[in-house]
Amino acid sequence: MPDPLGEPARPGTATSGLGRVLVALYGTFALAAGARAAVQLATRFDEAPLAYLLSALAAAVYAVATVGLVRGGRGGRATATAAILVELAGVLVVGTLSVADPAAFPDETVWSGYGRGYGFVPLVLPLLGLLWLRRADAEGRRRRPR
Amino acid sequence: MSPTLAWAATAAALAVAALGALSTLTRRRIGLAHLVATGVLEGVLLLQAGLAVARLAGGARPEEPATFLGYLAGAVLVPVAGVLWARGEPSRWAGTVVGVAALTTAVMVWRLVQLWGDAGA
Repeated sequence: MPDPLGEPARPGTATSGLGRVLVALYGTFALAAGARAAVQLATRFDEAPLAYLLSALAAAVYAVATVGLVRGGRGGRATATAAILVELAGVLVVGTLSVADPAAFPDETVWSGYGRGYGFVPLVLPLLGLLWLRRADAEGRRRRPR
Repeated sequence: MSPTLAWAATAAALAVAALGALSTLTRRRIGLAHLVATGVLEGVLLLQAGLAVARLAGGARPEEPATFLGYLAGAVLVPVAGVLWARGEPSRWAGTVVGVAALTTAVMVWRLVQLWGDAGA
C-alpha cells in the first residue's frame, strides 16, 4: 500500500524543486496583479491613473520574473534577478510613499503599504527569490566550474 | 456568498497546506492524503460556484461582476492546476506547491465573500 503522504522524494532535486514553488508564487502574482490592473484600467482609469499604471507595471515585473525562473540557466536567472530587484525597489518605494502620502494612492495597488492587501507576500517574495537565485547560482558554478 | 462555505473551504485549504508542509518536511512527494484533501476543497469550491451562478441567474448583482466571475472561475481552477503540477514534481517541494495553491484559493474565496457584499441571497 503506497504511503498516503507520498513516496520518498527524489534526492538532489531540492534547489530546482524550491524554484518550482517560486514559479508557482510568481505566476500567481503575475496573474493576480495583471487581472486586477486590467479591470482597473478598463473600468476606471480616470480615478487613479498612477495607482493603476503601477499595478500594470507590477504585473509586468512579476511576469518577467516568472519567465526568467521558468527558463532557468544563467540567462534566465539573470533576467529573474533583474526583475526581482525592480520588484523589491517597487515594493519599498511604493510602500513608503503610500504610507507617507496616502492621498497620492487613493486606490490599492499590489505594492501599497508594503503589500498589506496581499498578506505582505509582495514584500517577502523578492527576498525569497533573491536567496534562491544566489543558491541556484552557486550550485550552477559547482556543477560547471569556469 | 455564504461565509459558512468560505469557512469550509478555508478549513479544507488549511488541511491541504498542513499535509503539503508535512510531506516537504519529511522529504516526500505528494500522496493519496493530498489528493483526498484537495478533492474535498474542490468539492466545496464547485458547490460555491454552482450556488453563486444560480443566484446571479436569479438576478443578484455583486460589486464588480467581472472581477467576481474571474475570482469564481479562478478559484475552481487553481487547486486543479496545483495538483497537476505537484504530481509531476519529483522533489519534496511538491507538497509546498499544492499547499500554496490551496492557500491561494482560500484568499480568493474570502475576496469573493467581500465582493458579494450584500448582493442578496
